[in-house]
Amino acid sequence: MTAQATTHALDPITVEVIGAALSSIVEETGEALVRASYSTNIKERRDCSTALFDRQGRTLCQAEHIPIHLGSFLDFIPMLLRDHDEAELRPGDVFVGNDAYRGGGTHLPDIVLAEPIFVDGALVAWTVNLAHHSDFVDRAHAHIYQEGLRIPPIRLYRAGELQKDVQELILLNCQVPRERLSDLRAQMAANRVGVQRFQELCARHGVETVLASGEALLDYAERKMRAGIAALPDGSWRFEDVFDNLDFDTPIPFAVTVTVAGDELALDFEAPEQIRAPINMTRTALLATVYYIVKSVIDPTVLPNAGLARPITVRAPEGSIVNCKHPAAVNGRVQTCQRVADLILGALAQAVPERVSACTNSACSVAVFSGTRQSGPDAGSYWVYLETIGGGGGARPNADGLDGIHVHATNTSNLPVEALEGEYPLILERYELVDGSGGSGRHRGGMGLRRVYRATEDCMVHVDVSRNMSRSWGLLGGGPGGAGSYATSPGCAPFKNGYGTLCAGEWLEVVTPGGGGYGPAEERAAHPDEQPIAAE
Amino acid sequence: MMDGSQGFGPNGTWRVGVDSGGTFTDVCMFNEASGEIAVWKVSSTPDDPSRGIAQGVEEGMRERAGGGDDPAAAIAYLGHGTTVATNALITHRGAKVGLLTTGGFRDLLEIGRQKRPDLYDLFAEKPRTLVPRALRFELPERMLRSGEVSVPLDEDAVREAARAMKAAGVEAVAICFLYAFVNPAHEQAARRIVAEEMPGAFLCASHEIAPEFREFERLSTATVNAYLGPIMHRYISRLTPRLEELGLPVAPHLTQSNGGVVRFEVAAETPVRAVLSGPSTGVVAAQAIGARAGFDDIITFDMGGTSSDVALMAGGETTQTNESVVHGYPIKAPMLDIHTVGAGGGSIASIDSGGLLKVGPESAGADPGPVCYGRGATEPTVTDANIVLQVLNPVEILDGRMKVHRNLAVEAIEKMAKTLGMQSMDVAQGIISVVTANMAKAIRVISVQRGHDPRNYALMAFGGAGPLHAVRLAQELGMSTVIVPRNPGILCAMGLLLTDLRADFSATRLTPLEAGNLDVIADTMARVEAEAAGWFETETIPADKRRITRRIDMRYDGQNYELSIPLPDGPVTEVTLAALKEGFAEAHKRMYGFDVPEERILCVTFRAEAMGLVQKAELPERAPGDTDASGAIIGSREVWYPETGSFTQTTLYARDRLAPGMRFAGPAIVEQMDTTTLIPPGVSASVDTIDNLILELPR
Repeated sequence: MTAQATTHALDPITVEVIGAALSSIVEETGEALVRASYSTNIKERRDCSTALFDRQGRTLCQAEHIPIHLGSFLDFIPMLLRDHDEAELRPGDVFVGNDAYRGGGTHLPDIVLAEPIFVDGALVAWTVNLAHHSDFVDRAHAHIYQEGLRIPPIRLYRAGELQKDVQELILLNCQVPRERLSDLRAQMAANRVGVQRFQELCARHGVETVLASGEALLDYAERKMRAGIAALPDGSWRFEDVFDNLDFDTPIPFAVTVTVAGDELALDFEAPEQIRAPINMTRTALLATVYYIVKSVIDPTVLPNAGLARPITVRAPEGSIVNCKHPAAVNGRVQTCQRVADLILGALAQAVPERVSACTNSACSVAVFSGTRQSGPDAGSYWVYLETIGGGGGARPNADGLDGIHVHATNTSNLPVEALEGEYPLILERYELVDGSGGSGRHRGGMGLRRVYRATEDCMVHVDVSRNMSRSWGLLGGGPGGAGSYATSPGCAPFKNGYGTLCAGEWLEVVTPGGGGYGPAEERAAHPDEQPIAAE
Repeated sequence: MMDGSQGFGPNGTWRVGVDSGGTFTDVCMFNEASGEIAVWKVSSTPDDPSRGIAQGVEEGMRERAGGGDDPAAAIAYLGHGTTVATNALITHRGAKVGLLTTGGFRDLLEIGRQKRPDLYDLFAEKPRTLVPRALRFELPERMLRSGEVSVPLDEDAVREAARAMKAAGVEAVAICFLYAFVNPAHEQAARRIVAEEMPGAFLCASHEIAPEFREFERLSTATVNAYLGPIMHRYISRLTPRLEELGLPVAPHLTQSNGGVVRFEVAAETPVRAVLSGPSTGVVAAQAIGARAGFDDIITFDMGGTSSDVALMAGGETTQTNESVVHGYPIKAPMLDIHTVGAGGGSIASIDSGGLLKVGPESAGADPGPVCYGRGATEPTVTDANIVLQVLNPVEILDGRMKVHRNLAVEAIEKMAKTLGMQSMDVAQGIISVVTANMAKAIRVISVQRGHDPRNYALMAFGGAGPLHAVRLAQELGMSTVIVPRNPGILCAMGLLLTDLRADFSATRLTPLEAGNLDVIADTMARVEAEAAGWFETETIPADKRRITRRIDMRYDGQNYELSIPLPDGPVTEVTLAALKEGFAEAHKRMYGFDVPEERILCVTFRAEAMGLVQKAELPERAPGDTDASGAIIGSREVWYPETGSFTQTTLYARDRLAPGMRFAGPAIVEQMDTTTLIPPGVSASVDTIDNLILELPR
């Protein structure tokens, strides 16, 4: 096939073949990362992503893991190349970084490892992966310096040699260094697979064909995106909503205006100034969110590469909560991302109501537990457990919203009870759908989740739930979804802004919001298998 | 009368394999004495498949095996592969199931792992929940991870739930409590009570079917088993008397997803282990043929009309997996690692909104079929591309049983070529390339994604369309050998004559791999082996026909995914532990590029694979003769190849005239009733002593 590949270097078929190979590579690197990892957040919850980038740092292909992680990938290579001379890059160099302002990251726990791929001595591409390290807990969030160790893109390996001093510096700043070290090794394993597979692809098809196909795939994604946008009616639609969570008492208003003109789409955001709380979004977090939701509505099959961004213009006031600048705190930015995705859905619903869902639960509800082990073989060691909890999906024009799922910018698994209780001094007492939490409608919104944890040892807790003051909106007469909330056992010291302590034997209940309904509830057809969904 | 002779019957001479598919029921008969192989085909009877099966066996034995008035009397063994479980799962026609779970976890079946079914598609649906919420009962009970009871089981609540389920017309009950794999006492008690209250209902407790950690996957497995239980029971209870009426003198066997066979009574209790019963036999046949032909490392490629199944075997061993998602449902059961992709001869080609050519997963099916059938279809399929390229006979196919209309296929592809701004022949070849890329992706999943380099494997092609696409697929993956067995179309039925009795046993017990735990490790392994020994007894397998392979799934303490490491034969000693440790380090290095000698290794699941060796069909061997293949030539036609960029005169060979030793070179096409084999320019072909076509690609 090599002969054929050279003669028709850029025919649509070769491009399709190489596109399939690139997506196999990123999926395979992702699998290696999960299987070799140690922390529950990666090995069971799969809070990690992998991607391939071209030499200039444009996304060639991102694995179908977590959309927000694209935010950390977008600027990583450009920032790296600003700090490091490309001519000095060597095979086996591995760069580590996480910073929101110097490393393209969106929050500090997402640590990126990037390795240049060389073919015949020339830099041709990058394999990049990100793992959310559950660390940097029990911190303050007035600005980024309080949120954890900031790492610009620097070498963790130089020509295959581990830079032990760099690694030591990182590990010393982590609260669970053993887990960090093991997960970094898993990230190395993933990159090794990426380099090897990409080199094999070049050996098979010729490096020029692969690179030219990479370029063509960007054009292809752009064409598909343009075709999709052109199918929307021209016009301009504004939608506003509020952001609320436990960090503050008054909801923050924000809005977007989506404008379709021919085959181009513009989004203009209105948002207040960044605040001294962890909810600020970096520009790359905003872009990753926009790309995710626009792709979902316009054409979910568009390849997740840099080409899809070309017909999209994003404008947001610099220094605002949706486009923050140094030194804004960003740790909980995913909550804001979720709301922004729904905001865009709300604007597009006015143009193409048949293509969108009602508002999802708009949240990525989080519970973080940490403490010092009081018994067992690891007594005295520090433990951190982070989990994110799904909620209701928005009702669709043709179907109910999905119950108890992760929406939008995130998509992590739960941790099996039988894994959770073995790893941490916690007992899970309930895990269920919240009756009545799906917004009413011709199609009802998805139900939120209830999770009840009992501590078996004293621990610190941070809960982050959203839609605690506002509600997820319904569409075309559909009702709002249920609220997010949390509660603790009677006698437990009151939590402040979601922060508190559980003593051994006390419990915490987290309830995540439901999604909005679609269409008037009177039009709802009887569902044979359904039990009453009204509040019990 | 069925006795316990299980394939070791002293009187019979015929071994019979029956593969019951959607359209045809294939019967493959093998005479142990003479080595003769005979084939019989009847139409399937989907309303009650047992009718077609009995008819096929009866007719086949009478017509082809000289069975006379008592056709089944000479049968020494009967093996059967069925898609009844798969079909019930795909079409959601399983039983009405009730579920008993730990209090607080009623919705786990719906929540699953809380991920959404598609990352970007807002309209994607989750797989349908197999038990409605009203039939999921929470019971007061709770075990701890240690196996200690935290809340005792409320037996009255179980009884009450059972009565409610009975009143609701529930036919099958799944029981899944937290930590039942550590301490099954509550599940056992609940099962006993439900059995009392609901006599005749199908019951499945999670510790019986999947005694491993991760509650959702265990729950899903138990639920699917209950969902399929009554279906499989009905199926077997219809088939059994029909075979008895025929006078079958031996107990019939059913294939499982792991490629092994078990007795009907066993199969009826574990239908979840039969969801890959159909394709697994093809893999088993490929394994046996590969072994005979001297190929240990094989990737199988079974391509039909709508989908292709691929599997990998290294060192002559099939790849097993203990967990997989089948039709949307996680299943923990021993299965051959078979991967299916929606790419077949009927896959439809289209141009998407970005201007790229896509093929499948939509299929033209049997009706209207490809454009060239002339039944009104207008969207070109893979078959149409092959007709346009004249790789397939452009006038008639299926041994002349069906006329084709090449002109219609040409029109459809020309229209597409205009849109793409390409030449029609390039587009026809392009359809082949794209479908090849899709199939290559499936093969990468089972090879590269599991750490195997496909270039070190031979590709064995079967199914109606496999031999047509095999060389292109091999080229895409850099593979250099393709094997086309003598009867690619009936390989699954044949596989039933080549498979051993087989059962898998396992126990999960987290134990650090340390000398201090030698006793625990040895005891656990012995316990699993004892189960296997009990099975040998039940199946009355003679001592010299028993084989056990032992493995331990291990990981570094802290990881959650294990690597399965074989245990050396003999007693478990400190030497064994050292070998396990070394084996694990090597495997970890191979998979992930590193190992960590100072880390603690955990033994997680102890496994024994028990085999009862049966007398298998011997593929008749023929001594190689002359290399000259010209006697098999039946004509020639022009075929378009990307290698030449034009129509090139191509020699046509008849498969039934090819004989061992013959050699010829591409461009060539081999035609036979059930398939067509493409041998492009530069590829050479030879026939081995068991009539396989061996195709060698230039490196």
